[in-house]
Order: sequence, then structure tokens, then C-alpha cells
Amino acid sequence: MSVPAASRPVRRLRWQVAAWLWLACCGVVGVHQWSFWRASHFGTDVMALLPQDEQSPEVGRATRQLADQATRQVVVMVGAPDWASAKKAAAAWEQAAMSSARDETMFTARPPFRRSAMAGDDALRDTLAFYAPYRDRLLTPAQRAQLEGAPPATLLQSALAALAQPGGGFRLADWNADPLALWPQWWLARASETRARPRDGQLALSDAGLEWVVLLEETPGSAFTMSGATPIAHALAQGRAAAIAAVPGARVLAGGVPLHAEYAASRAHLETNTIGWGSIAGVLVLAWLAFRSLWPRLLMAVSLGVGVAMALSATSWVFGEVHLLTIVFGASLVGCAEDYGLYYFASRQGAPAVAPLRMMSTLLPGLALALLTSVLGYLALGLPPFPGLRQMALFSVVGIFGTFVTTVVWFPWIDRGGPGRTRFSDWVGASFARYPRFGATRRTWIVHAALAAACGAGLVALRVNDDLRQLQGSPPALVDAQREIGRLLGVASPAQFFVVRGTSADDVLQREEALKARLDARVTNGELAGYRALSDWVPSRSRQAADAALTKRVEDGVVAGVDQVLGETQQRARFDAPALTLAAWLASPAATAGRALWIGAVPRADDGTGFASVVMLRGVRDLASLPDIARSADGLPGVRWVDQVQSVSALLGRYRRTMSLLLLAGHAAVLGVLAWRYGRRAWRAWVPTALATAGTLALLAAFGQPLQLFNVLALALLLGIGVDYGIFLLERENADAGAAWLSVVLGAASTWLSFGLLALSSTPALHAFGLTLSFGILIVWLVTPLYRPATVPPRKAP
Amino acid sequence: MRIVRLLAVAAAVLCGVPAGAAPAADVALVRERLKIAPVLKGEFEQTKTLKGFRNPLVSRGEFLVARGQGVWWHTQQPFETTLVVTSTRLFTRNADGSASDLADAQATPGVQQVNELVFALLAADLDALAARFTLVAQPVGAAGWTLVLTPRDASLAKFLVRATLAGERDVQTVRIEEARGDATLIRFSRQVPSAALAADEAARFR
Repeated sequence: MSVPAASRPVRRLRWQVAAWLWLACCGVVGVHQWSFWRASHFGTDVMALLPQDEQSPEVGRATRQLADQATRQVVVMVGAPDWASAKKAAAAWEQAAMSSARDETMFTARPPFRRSAMAGDDALRDTLAFYAPYRDRLLTPAQRAQLEGAPPATLLQSALAALAQPGGGFRLADWNADPLALWPQWWLARASETRARPRDGQLALSDAGLEWVVLLEETPGSAFTMSGATPIAHALAQGRAAAIAAVPGARVLAGGVPLHAEYAASRAHLETNTIGWGSIAGVLVLAWLAFRSLWPRLLMAVSLGVGVAMALSATSWVFGEVHLLTIVFGASLVGCAEDYGLYYFASRQGAPAVAPLRMMSTLLPGLALALLTSVLGYLALGLPPFPGLRQMALFSVVGIFGTFVTTVVWFPWIDRGGPGRTRFSDWVGASFARYPRFGATRRTWIVHAALAAACGAGLVALRVNDDLRQLQGSPPALVDAQREIGRLLGVASPAQFFVVRGTSADDVLQREEALKARLDARVTNGELAGYRALSDWVPSRSRQAADAALTKRVEDGVVAGVDQVLGETQQRARFDAPALTLAAWLASPAATAGRALWIGAVPRADDGTGFASVVMLRGVRDLASLPDIARSADGLPGVRWVDQVQSVSALLGRYRRTMSLLLLAGHAAVLGVLAWRYGRRAWRAWVPTALATAGTLALLAAFGQPLQLFNVLALALLLGIGVDYGIFLLERENADAGAAWLSVVLGAASTWLSFGLLALSSTPALHAFGLTLSFGILIVWLVTPLYRPATVPPRKAP
Repeated sequence: MRIVRLLAVAAAVLCGVPAGAAPAADVALVRERLKIAPVLKGEFEQTKTLKGFRNPLVSRGEFLVARGQGVWWHTQQPFETTLVVTSTRLFTRNADGSASDLADAQATPGVQQVNELVFALLAADLDALAARFTLVAQPVGAAGWTLVLTPRDASLAKFLVRATLAGERDVQTVRIEEARGDATLIRFSRQVPSAALAADEAARFR
């Protein structure tokens, strides 16, 4: 097949035009790159990589809204056995953490933290003033039960007793506007959304014999630093050391999105460097050994640079930013995209007499086929609806395509005089002839039967695990601290919640109230500490009207009774305000507390619902009871339980199964394409990859690695890359098989190195990906020559 | 009951108090003249002037303050009711001797701080008060003194204008003036100091 291609006249002009056009393309990308690096568009938010809820857009919006709330917040808790030591330790923490900024000025000009703006005096006064006209319409469930159930005489007695108690009482309203002191109690219920309480000018809570100071800090900017520096972790470590020095035995907990983001960013920085520079160093050594010249190396670096620059530009253009994990994954491209250059230079070395352009046009069909299979492999990554995977797929496809085109259209012009032979290249080339191959012998069949048995046993032993939580990349200490802070503060978890839909804002609030009535029973029996709901802050119209009527009836009686006993002539204050509406509340300063719970208008569904809100759970005692709590939504119109962890895990499982089927289809398709070019010899290029796929699964089982979506995706990519080696060997079987083998050895070694380094990643998904591919590539590399055709012409002597 | 609810809100708005400021020098005078016994009991008469009420509300009864234990406040007129404040609990003693909890520190965060404040005011605990209030002392005659407490914190000042304590060996009056115009005057009389609680007295705090 390669013979007619070689004898075809080379169309120089067309090649020249392509080279200049490509240069123009690179110019455009270069300009974009200049602006790209000036304002770095790198994303660190791991949530951005997770899929949006497929069915309902409001769930995605709710998740984002709840996450955005906390992107800059750092919560630090300092605990000690008594309050005075806790305060002392907290003061030491703050002093040390804040002053650590000075050591870090080389990285950040600003301190790592600033005190979170707590609700100031003005905000509190405004909020109280905003709510005052609606006082009569707002009751806690306990108050409602009390007013409905208690006899009027009892209520009168408690009002009189309160008037006789010592001290004045710090009123929120005049006596005749709140004779039973319901108002402060309602505010206390609102304040119970967190267990932290102001104490001596700080937030505090006590739990299990420890007194805690709660410090709310904010990071001034994005946690991401290009330098890989960790100013936040540094400041936290200094603060912790100072707190423990001040109060031996003090406990310090720190949590918040910036901590995780900074950790991820610094790990990504380290890993990108390890993978990128490690691969480059490996390839450099191999190229030097093989070609004893840095010229091929330099050209391959240029092609790779063009590919990566185009990948960055395309990704930031399509997605608006480039995620750090994409960069980490993209670093493994180094080993993969090099194959084209290596193949070209190895072929040139093998046949120095052939002119560069002619050589390239001879290689082009095989190169194009290799590119096609690799691109298909990378595209398979983008099939599941995970934005992160799609980004990696786009990045890789563009990167590999850019490298390919650069190699094809530029190398023949720049390359003057192919690389000389070296002892290493001769040794590798010559080794091909000595490499064992499978003939149609009995031994071959026995070996294959043994292999099949081993792979079969591995497949049987393989475990499957789709749990999203195993993809958690943060160190356990950070995760544990985060969990304990959540427990101590009793804050609502953003991972599980109810979404409530309704035909209008008021309908949403009414449906929330129906849900809350069920949840209240679970709060009473201790399953839940409580919940966060908009209707706590703005009850529905009908609830407001009922409560207003109830307080009027009861309080009129109480005021009249007190007048009678004490000889007064008081009148209950008039409440003339119309019902509190959600729109008015959202526009007021009072909305700070719960704005994130309101999703607002969403696309209208078949049942006519077009508005939605979120009801969050606080302090779930036992996570195992979540499915039971979820059943609170059963039978309530418009109420839906959302468990992010569970639904993403289910999605991972579903796509693991789909991708497994697609992987089988992919193997069939690749075999078809190979058959189209190589006819009956096609299986020789395909079997090594098929064997590697089965062998990798068996190895994963042997190492106790569970099978998840990322392993299957890696196997799809293995299909794309693995058959390249078979293609290179089949393409050159009649020309210089030794040269083709040299390119396969160099290419496989660099690819293997890249994915092996990726397996070191602390991001579990990337680790799984890298591990799978490094197993697979190694097997393909070792196995491919075993299946070469019988007759191989010996390599010509120099 | 109400005082606690309201104080809880007051505590909930206590932000940014510069803690631990030293009492002014002339407070030493009060320390010198005021002899706080570990246990003090006596009688009280409270006069509340509330906005909207034509007549002041007057109540009388007996009290017991035990350092480190709490305050027992037994109103006898115009009707029977007993309030007990300890560092962890707040409850009313019913006529039949049973206790009904109004709040406990574990279930309702913040109660402890509120209790500390109430306790400090009624027991004239100068060190605890100095953390929250600016103290200005004046000598009165050879043995007497007044102590004016102004909140350090703006949030608390929104509720409380000042508290004034006056006395000699014992605190004799406490006057609380609120921002809304309400005022409370408590007069103590027949105070009897002692070194320790009697057994039946200790039972009042349980």
C-alpha cells in the first residue's frame, strides 16, 4: 500500500501553501495566547467539572448558588477546655495568621485573610425595622401551638409574671405591640440556623466540654496562584502553631472552599510540572540516544508547543476558562503527541536518501490513520456530560491535532539532512529482528489459552465502585476538619436538599410549609437539628393571615386582662401592614440571610410550575437516615429530594456501563477501519490493544483497584493510542521495519512515561486514568511486535 | 421569663466588645467599701416604670445570691413566682415545688452568657461587669458609693442606656434605664451575709 504513495509525485506547491497557512494560524493563536497569559483564565472549582443535573436546570442553579455563597469563606475554630483559654488561643491564632502575610509578600501583596464582615449595627437595626410592621404575622411552630392550645387565663398569668420579673427587659417592641414577648423568641429561632453565638464580641459555642471561638475569615482574592505557593495554608499553620504555643492542648479546626481550592491548585501546579518536565526530560534523553542530535528534539518541542498553545486557546475560547485539572491531564499529551515526530525522524534516519518531503508524503496515510484513532479515543472522553471531561477531550484533540499538522506541514521544510544513526538506534532497530513473534504453533495456542484464563479470572475478580466520594481529592485531615466544623456549627449541608417548585412565589412558600410540617416531626424526634427554608423568613400569605388573626385574638385578650388587673387603659398596637411579600423581602437588607435559598423563575414545567426554592437540612444525626428523610417529599406536589453525591454517583455508574458498551463498539469500528486499509492483516494491529485492554482490567483487579468510569475512559483512549503502534509497524513492514520499531519504542516509552507520571496524581480520577493507561501502554508496547507478519527484511547495514 | 428572652436577644447582638479592659482607678473605692459575702440573702422591692403604663409596677419578695451558684428570686407580691438563674439553667419554681425549665445552656446556646450578665448585675461582680461596661464610681459620704455602668458596646447601648448601683457595705439599689424609656429601680433591704449555703438553700438551685 505504501508503495504507490511513495511513487506518487509530491505536490510541492500545495505543501508550501499549507505550511504558510499554518503559520498564519499559529500567528492568530499567538496573539490570543498573549492576552490569555496576561489575564490567567484558570479555574479551580471542582464543582465546575461535575455534570449539571440532566433533567432539571433548577438543581444545577441551586447547587451553584449554594456553592457561590462560600467560595471565599474560611471558618476557623479554636477550642480549649475553658472560655478564657479559648479566647487567648484565638487571639494568638489571629495575630500569627494575620502577620504571616508579611512573610508572604513575595507571593501576595495582601494579607491572606480579612475579617468577614459580620452583620453590623446598621444592618441589624435595618433588619429589625424592616420586620417590625409584620410582627403579628410571624410565629414559630411552638408559639403557634402554644397560642392555640393554652387557656387565656394561663397566657394572662404568664404576661403578668413577666411584668414582675427582675430587671427591665431589652424590648424589641413596645409592651402593647408584643405583650407576650413572642417577637424576641421568633428572632432566636431564626438565629438558630447556626449554633454559634456572640460572646464577648466573638462568635462562640460550647460542645462536649470544649469552648470554641469561631473566627470567620475571608480570602481577599482567588485562591489560585500560578506560583503554586500556599499563603492560606501557610497562614493557617502559623496560626495553629501560635494558638498551641499560647494554650497547650488547644484545638484548631479550619475549613472552607479556599483551603481545598488552594490545595488543589498547589497540587496541580506540582503535578503539571512533574508530568510535563518529567515527560520532556524522558523524551529528551530518548531522542538524544536515538538521534545524537538536538535538532529533531527542538522541532518536536516546537510542534508540541504549537499544539499546547492551540489547545489552551481553543479550550478558553469554548469554555471561558481552562481548568487546572485539564492542564494536569494535558501535560500527559507530551508523551502522546510526540509519536508523530518520532515516527518521522526514525523513518528519516532509516532512509536518509529519501528527501524529507517525499518521506512525509509516504508516511502521511499511516500518520493520518494514527491521528484518527487517537482523536476518536480522546473524543470518547467527551461523551459523558461531564464538563470537566469535555474540556479535557477538547484540549487533547486540539493539542494532538496541532502537533500533527505542525509535524506534517513544517518538518519537511525545516528538516535539512536527517539525523545520523547512533549505536542506540541501530541496537533498537536490530532488536526487532530478534524479537520473538507468535507463529501458528502449538506453543502459541497454549500461551493464548493461559492468557485468556488469566484475563478471565481478573475480569471475574474485578470490583465496580461508582461512589463519587472516592473521587474526593482533598487530604483526609482537611476533609475531617471540614466535617467537624459542619457538625459543631450545625450548618446546613449543600450536598443534599429539597427543591420546591410552585406556580408562583407564594405557591412555592405554601408547598415549603407543607414539607416543613413533615420535617418538624423529625426535628422533634431528633433525626434533624433543623432546616433552612425561605418560608421561615417569609411565610406564605395564607400562613401570615392565619397567624395575624391568631395573635390578634390572643393578644387583645391578654391586653384587656392586664388592663383589668392593673387598672390600666392600654390598647393592643395596630398592625395595618399588608402581607410581607417575597419580592419586598428580597429587595430588603433582611434578605442577606437566605437569598441563596431562592432560585426564582425556572423554565415552566408541564404541571405549570415556574418558580423554585431550596430547603436545606441542618444537623442530620445519621447519614444513613437520609433516604428515609428523603421520603418526606413523597406525595407532596412540587417537592423533590436532591442528593448530589448520590445522583452524580448514579450518573458515573450509568456512563461507566454506556462507555463500556461504546468501548466494545469502538473496538469493532477500529478493526473495520484497519481492515479497510490492511485487509486480512488488520487483526495484527488490533489484537495487541484488545489483549492490553483485557490484561489491564485483570491487573486492576489484581491490584485491588475498583472499576469506575475513568478506567473505562482510559481504555477508550488506549484503543486510540494502542493501535498506532500496530499501524506504524504494518505501514513500514516492506520498507524499513527497524525504523518503524524504533519509532514505536521511542513513542511508547514517552507515552508510558507520561501516563505513568499521571498515575502519581493525587486527583483520584486522574490517578485511575494514568494507572490504567500505563498498564495498557506497557502491554501494547511489549505485545505488538509479537503479532508482526512473518517476513521481515533485515535492516540494511550502514 | 421575659427578661431572659430579651437578654438573649441582647446577647445575640453583642458584637465587638473590647473585652478585659481594666476597671477605672476609682472603682477601687467601691471594692474597698463593698463587702461581698459568699452568700447574701435579703428582701427586695422592685418598681418598674414602663412606657404605655400609667402606674409603676411594684413587686416585692426575697432573694438569695450565692457566689458561683446562682440567683434565687422569689416574688411574693403582687403574686407568687420564683425565678432561678444558674450558670447552666434558668427555671421557675412552681407552687408545688417542681421546676419548669425556661431554657438550658445546652439546648439554647447563649443562655450561659445571658446568665452571666444577669448574675453579674445582681451580684455586683465588678470584674465581670467591667468587661461589658465602662464603670464610673463616686464616693457618697464616709461609707457610701455609687457606680454608673455604661455599655461599652453600641449594640447593647441600643437597649440599655445605663445601670446605676449604689450602696455601702452591701448594694442597696440597682437602677436600670433602657433606651426605650423604661426604667427599673430595685431596692434591697434586710441583707444577711453568710459564709455558706444552708442545705435547704442549696436545694433551691437544683
